[in-house]
Amino acid sequence: MKPMLSTDLNVAEAAVEKAKIEVKNLNFYYGQSKALKDISLSLPERSVTAFIGPSGCGKSTLLRVFNRIYELYPRQSAEGQVLLDGRNILDRSQDLNLLRTKIGMVFQKPTPFPMSIYENIAFGVRLYEKISKAEMDGRVEQALKRAALWTEVKDKLNASGLSLSGGQQQRLCIARTVAVKPEVILLDEPASALDPLSTAKIEELIDELQADYTIVIVTHNMQQAARVSRQTAFMYLGELVEFDRTEKIFTSPREKRTQDYITGRFG
Amino acid sequence: MSTSLALHNRRKRRNGVMMALCVVAAGIGLAWLALILGALVYKGLSGVSLAVFTEMTPPPGDAGGLLNAIYGSIVMTVIGVIVGTPIGVLAGTYMAEYGRFSKLTTVVRFINDILLSAPSIVIGLFVYELLVRPMGHFSAIAGAVALAILVIPVVVRTTEDMLNLVPNALREAGAAIGAPRWVVIRSVAYRAALSGIVTGILLAIARISGETAPLLFTALNNQFWSSNLNAPMASLPVTIFQFALSPYEEWQQLAWTGALIITLTVLGLSIFARSLTGRREDR
Amino acid sequence: MTTVSEATPLSSAMRSRDATVRRFAFTDTVFREATRSSAVLVLLILSGVAVSLFAGSWEALSKFGFSFLTTEAWNPVTENFGALSPIYGTIVTSAIAILIAVPIGIGIAVFLTELCPRPLRRPIGIAVELLAGIPSIIYGIWGLFVFAPFLQTTVQPFIIDIFHNVPGLSSLFAGPPYGIGLLTSSLILAIMVLPFITSITKDVFDTVPAVLKESAYGIGCTTWEVTRRVVIPYTRVGIMGGVMLGLGRALGETMAVTFVIGNAHRISASLFAPATTISATIANEFTEADGQLYTSSLVALGLILFVITFIILAIARYMLMRIDARTGA
Repeated sequence: MKPMLSTDLNVAEAAVEKAKIEVKNLNFYYGQSKALKDISLSLPERSVTAFIGPSGCGKSTLLRVFNRIYELYPRQSAEGQVLLDGRNILDRSQDLNLLRTKIGMVFQKPTPFPMSIYENIAFGVRLYEKISKAEMDGRVEQALKRAALWTEVKDKLNASGLSLSGGQQQRLCIARTVAVKPEVILLDEPASALDPLSTAKIEELIDELQADYTIVIVTHNMQQAARVSRQTAFMYLGELVEFDRTEKIFTSPREKRTQDYITGRFG
Repeated sequence: MSTSLALHNRRKRRNGVMMALCVVAAGIGLAWLALILGALVYKGLSGVSLAVFTEMTPPPGDAGGLLNAIYGSIVMTVIGVIVGTPIGVLAGTYMAEYGRFSKLTTVVRFINDILLSAPSIVIGLFVYELLVRPMGHFSAIAGAVALAILVIPVVVRTTEDMLNLVPNALREAGAAIGAPRWVVIRSVAYRAALSGIVTGILLAIARISGETAPLLFTALNNQFWSSNLNAPMASLPVTIFQFALSPYEEWQQLAWTGALIITLTVLGLSIFARSLTGRREDR
Repeated sequence: MTTVSEATPLSSAMRSRDATVRRFAFTDTVFREATRSSAVLVLLILSGVAVSLFAGSWEALSKFGFSFLTTEAWNPVTENFGALSPIYGTIVTSAIAILIAVPIGIGIAVFLTELCPRPLRRPIGIAVELLAGIPSIIYGIWGLFVFAPFLQTTVQPFIIDIFHNVPGLSSLFAGPPYGIGLLTSSLILAIMVLPFITSITKDVFDTVPAVLKESAYGIGCTTWEVTRRVVIPYTRVGIMGGVMLGLGRALGETMAVTFVIGNAHRISASLFAPATTISATIANEFTEADGQLYTSSLVALGLILFVITFIILAIARYMLMRIDARTGA
């Protein structure tokens, strides 16, 4: 796995990267208080980007702007631009449900729906696609394989999603997200509630998924960011302090605050 | 030293007395439940026979049963629940989902809580003014509407409470795969809150199946078999009320038997309802 | 498999997707409005109650005016109606019921939270709550056939005997022992509201942070002292809310009282005398009332009951909301 990764990186360095998501002068407010301050960055297609920083720095907030999930709550608002393939998703005409089929999200704690394993995956697919039972079976299998869960659950697809272990539940959530064929996958500290073994599985999965998806991961675990991401954004107090290739951030950061954080002097 | 020991002893004695009083209080509470149930079973059971369930309410001094009253109670309770439950569930859904942060929700919650404990006889008067007076006669429909109005606040309250217990992460997860709000509510939130909502509905049924006051001047009573919803209809509680206060022994016996039937129904429903949520609490 | 391979058949898929999006937006709006109107309906019901009671009682109120509240007379023949004796009966029975039920209810709550062996806690708690679920007509029939005769033959003659020479108390407990009457109704009401007060008190006792109790025990307090000095002061507002809620129940309770109050429209000094309450009067007389003014006077009684309970319940809810806000924070 390791040598594969490094070749990937070399290729990436050579290519002129196409930006999947471009953030321009983004501000975010919880009521009156400003949680994100003039953020601009661009996330290349089909690669993993990590957001790191101490808690409360705004990394999760930024992630939650990308699929506008914050709009479930009152008094939260974003201004500025977030371009997905050049189209501003913060535009009021943007349909939220459609946006979220393009940009999937996996949460900190596993969130299986109170239904069977099969239904957990079919539920999202059925929303926008009319397909036959046979096709659906195929989609469910494919998604579960993609999330490296198929062999563990193929004999109990009708069991409740809640009957799985924490790590399995989280992979079910990834499978569910993948099944609706998004273009971008947002991961909000996806392994923080899991044991080390499950964490390793999730990380492996992220590594495989970046061949097809643009992935953004928020993590408080710096080693995890270093392991899985190609570029890393360090945030502090609602500001984007530094954004660069992961390698660079962790070996020779430009900013003193970045260096202090990754060497464990605060946060 | 000796005074502090005396103080200590006094405090201990005082504690002993107060705690004993608390035990006595609990004893009184339980004893009363036992007394009431005991009398009910003792007096009611002796009148239980097949005739109770197969014969109509008798004229004074005759033997008979409670069939038309039982039938009327079931009909009006069922209609009341069918009408009241959807309204209650929808209103509770608004309060916990779409309107969770809105001012309307705060107002509705407050008013609903008042409605929840408002005297049921007042609801009876309201339905009398609303339906009976304009229609010019008492009817089973009016009785069912009065019961529906009693169902609504119970269901609103439990629906809101149970939906509020559904973690927001589940709603976010539903939204995150592109499901519109109502699909998330229907397929995720309702499913997660199902046992709690069902409990609420069962408790509402338990409540209305023993209600007398709101039926007194809506459905009134009917000595005979009637399945006409637009006419007065007998019900178990009103029949008990009428028979118990009568001087005829056969009627009084039927009243006891009817009371036993209602109590067993209500207790059965509440115990069943509790067993549904009991498992949830144990987790 | 990959997102790119989706690109070719996209246009037709996109079109059906757009249709789906529009359908979703529509159904979501419909569902949202359905839930909102149901919530509004709850408001409409309560205002409907107020408006209809007011309309129904207009005739009586305009005829008697304020004196309706202060007149004891209740005469269907001369069509002279006053609400004073039902109001008196309602308030006295409820007050006595609360005075009896509150100490017992708090006692049971203390027993359940502090003394009861853990395995018994849930069953006893449930038993007390089941008592709350028993329909009031059951209390009524039990009160009429079991409790009242018992009071009539044993308790009341005994009490009358003891107090007949004591000034003041002799008129409060003046004979003959009917069995039914004010005191019997109060006792039945006390039994009825006891479960409400108990379960709410128990719930608010459970909101006391464990550390608070532990630190009081830590300095050597007895269970009673912890209850008296820590638990009750901390939950005072919640207990008051529970008491108010019980009071609301007692004021509006109809059937249990109707059986055992005796339905007599007069104010008597004796607690053993038959009396009436607002709800008992309505339940007993409404269907038999002939004449607009009679019916309207009964609805006016309903309006008075509604206003009183509304105020009491509003205070209760306000107090319980305050304790909720504290535990929520």
